[in-house]
Amino acid sequence: MRRGIDRAFAAATGICAAAVCALLLGIAGSIVWRGLSVLDWRFVSRLAAGAGASGGVLYEILGTLILVATALLVSAPLATGVALVQAVYLETRPRARRWLFVALYAANSVPSVLLGIAGLIVFSRWLGWGKSWLAGGILLGLMILPTVSVALIERLRSLPRRYLEAASGLGLTRSQVIWSVLLPQSLGGLVSGLLLGLARASGETAPILFAAAVFSGAGLPAGIRDSPVVALPYHIFVLAQDSLDPTVQDHLWGAAAVLLALVFALSLLALPVRLRIHEEAKSA
Amino acid sequence: MREGRHRRLELTRVASLGFTAFAALAFLGMLVLFTVESLPVWRQAGLGYLFGKRWFFRVHEFGILPMVYGTLAVSAVALLVAAPLGVGTAFFTVEVLPRRARLAVKTAVELLAGIPSVIYGLLGVLLLRDFVVRLLAHWDPLSGDTLMTGGLLLAVMILPTVMTLADDALSGVSAAQRTAARALGLTRAETALRVAARQAFPGLASAVLLGLGRALGETIAVFLVIGRQDNQWPKRLLSMEPLASAGQTLTTKLGGSETFISYGDPLHWGAVMGLALVLFAVVGVVSVAGARLALREGGGA
Amino acid sequence: MLDRLSPEALETEPAAAVLEARGLSVATGRRPLLRSIDLRIEPRRVLGILGPSGAGKTTLLRCLNRLVDLTPQLAVSGEILLHGRSIRGREVDADALRTRVGMLFQQPVVFPGSIADNVLFGVRHTGRPPRREWPERIERALGEAALWEEVRHRLREPAASLSAGQQQRLCLARTLAGEPEILLLDEPTSALDAGSTAAIEELILRLRERHAIVLVTHGLRQARRVADSIVYLAVRDGAGEVIESGLCQDLFSRPRSPELARYLSREPA
Repeated sequence: MRRGIDRAFAAATGICAAAVCALLLGIAGSIVWRGLSVLDWRFVSRLAAGAGASGGVLYEILGTLILVATALLVSAPLATGVALVQAVYLETRPRARRWLFVALYAANSVPSVLLGIAGLIVFSRWLGWGKSWLAGGILLGLMILPTVSVALIERLRSLPRRYLEAASGLGLTRSQVIWSVLLPQSLGGLVSGLLLGLARASGETAPILFAAAVFSGAGLPAGIRDSPVVALPYHIFVLAQDSLDPTVQDHLWGAAAVLLALVFALSLLALPVRLRIHEEAKSA
Repeated sequence: MREGRHRRLELTRVASLGFTAFAALAFLGMLVLFTVESLPVWRQAGLGYLFGKRWFFRVHEFGILPMVYGTLAVSAVALLVAAPLGVGTAFFTVEVLPRRARLAVKTAVELLAGIPSVIYGLLGVLLLRDFVVRLLAHWDPLSGDTLMTGGLLLAVMILPTVMTLADDALSGVSAAQRTAARALGLTRAETALRVAARQAFPGLASAVLLGLGRALGETIAVFLVIGRQDNQWPKRLLSMEPLASAGQTLTTKLGGSETFISYGDPLHWGAVMGLALVLFAVVGVVSVAGARLALREGGGA
Repeated sequence: MLDRLSPEALETEPAAAVLEARGLSVATGRRPLLRSIDLRIEPRRVLGILGPSGAGKTTLLRCLNRLVDLTPQLAVSGEILLHGRSIRGREVDADALRTRVGMLFQQPVVFPGSIADNVLFGVRHTGRPPRREWPERIERALGEAALWEEVRHRLREPAASLSAGQQQRLCLARTLAGEPEILLLDEPTSALDAGSTAAIEELILRLRERHAIVLVTHGLRQARRVADSIVYLAVRDGAGEVIESGLCQDLFSRPRSPELARYLSREPA
């Protein structure tokens, strides 16, 4: 009887795991299979045609890259500041640290559509920017702030104390310890956090839906005001709403495959570093 | 010389605190923003806004209950599917699988987590809708755009979150306790359920709550498969029929065109902002609860 | 005040071994940990396993109740016989085995919950005693572990509120509740103070009346006080081997191998 339960347990949980793996393979597989038939160099390097439903996705790719680069520039300094506060400046205040931790978790769960709407109000209306790539970049940067901060915080906290003690022992001020020891040593955490965050940012639609992206009619932006971009996620989103035409479907799969390739490339770059930090932190 | 050092000390600290304050203000500011902008509808309709069942913006009727129902129904379906699957898989990877295989599964799940929601939406549109029509044939759905479709799609999307967090919670249980239990003659299953699950319970609950938070806030994927039909208030609450029809959630309404067109009309705009406020509040409560449970389990600050 | 059995008593009572290891070897990947271990555990005797750290004493012990199964990288070969029957086959129920061969660890591991919960923890799952027998079981197990008088009035209090020495005796009671034939003790006193150590050593001598005991110990003094026969385990040619075995008295006064002689000379008498 007890052996029976044990076997049933292993079987039931194994079925769950198998289902999950099958799901992943099915999803990734169907995208790869359908998308590859459409993908070729021309797809990636041509401009959209036929009111955006055919042709290539060059400007969409460039638009996504512009947004991602902006998000990087916005989130890197902000996340570093937050991480330093959590790991260094609040060292002696555990309650404040707990609140900041909870706040980071909560901020990470804010639905991205709300971020997009706030951006609509603040950037499009109040600042009068209309649709702007910069608004999109800022919103994406804010969105990934918790992810990047947490990655950096984990890394900072896993640094061996002897580095800090040696540096302080030499007479360095706290700020010097930060800049010459802490930050250089935790660069890996910052980089992997950024890569993960940007992987997520590159695929997000809701934050750029209201204040940054258009479906067609935009090339490379020329200023800040009224300078939208076309981006892969929004492109797919609009097309998917009206997708009964089979040629549109092919185009859709191709665009989806490109987006997925971009997201996976960024995630895979981050993964080895992140897994290592995670396991190090847990066994420490 | 000392002057330079001093100034740098100030600068890093001030900048860090300033950045943190800015970020905090940005997020809290959203809450204030939605509250203020939605005042017109609270003044006009009060609680009738929350419990009203009719949304006809042209005649200024604003009741969000059907959308609340849509959000809850879709999230409930997602949790009912994803929580057992995710927690079950976590039990498998932590209690049954050897270490190398566990890392492989974790990597696979992390990749799954990284797939953008618009692509899930695309898969939903092109693959899931037909499946749901067949699945719910008994209830005669009009098309594949139903609440059930949204729920199932969400289940797949939150599965990685639930699984990863549950895995973290279970693997945090002390190995010494596990070994001691096995040495007493408990089977693998008994050890997993009596020792590990009991200790990891806060972490497991947190995993489910945070998955729920994600489900509640997801817009794009659900938008594409839910039919976006207003005023769908079910005749019977706990039946399958409403799941087989189209509907609307708080997020799908926000993601639609009314957000743009309502700006000129203070009451309409207020009603849309009210949706944002309700969504913010609900997701906020669930996420904070989940985060505090995660802290209690011992992983954190 | 109990004492080890005299050599004469040991000579005149050869008993059938209750647990035996023959040619037991353990390797991880290509690296051997234990090589060709032969052991005999007799009822109502204490077998001490002595040796320097890293020799593989804990690994050896864990083979005897198949706890080594939990570490899949370790490959075990050779025979382990309980009452003459092999315990190593796939058809053998390892979980049932572990109620007959109980184990005590170096660090006391108490489960969250009350003292009573802890004592019953194993038996709840593995035994069949009905609920009404539980109070009696608790009393018996705690009595055997010499803890009953100290905690009889606070059975419902959390086990974590006990001192380290008491916790270790609680762990012992927990194991004893399952009425095992054999007790495997892995350096049970190395985490405890002198007073608790003495208490447990005396306990072992009492437990010997009803159980066969295998005691891994780091300290010569403990071995002298408690063990009847000794197995000296040390690393030779890269893997742990039985260098010498025999009656405690004999080994300590007339060590045959250079390794044991060195070991004895280094440790304080």
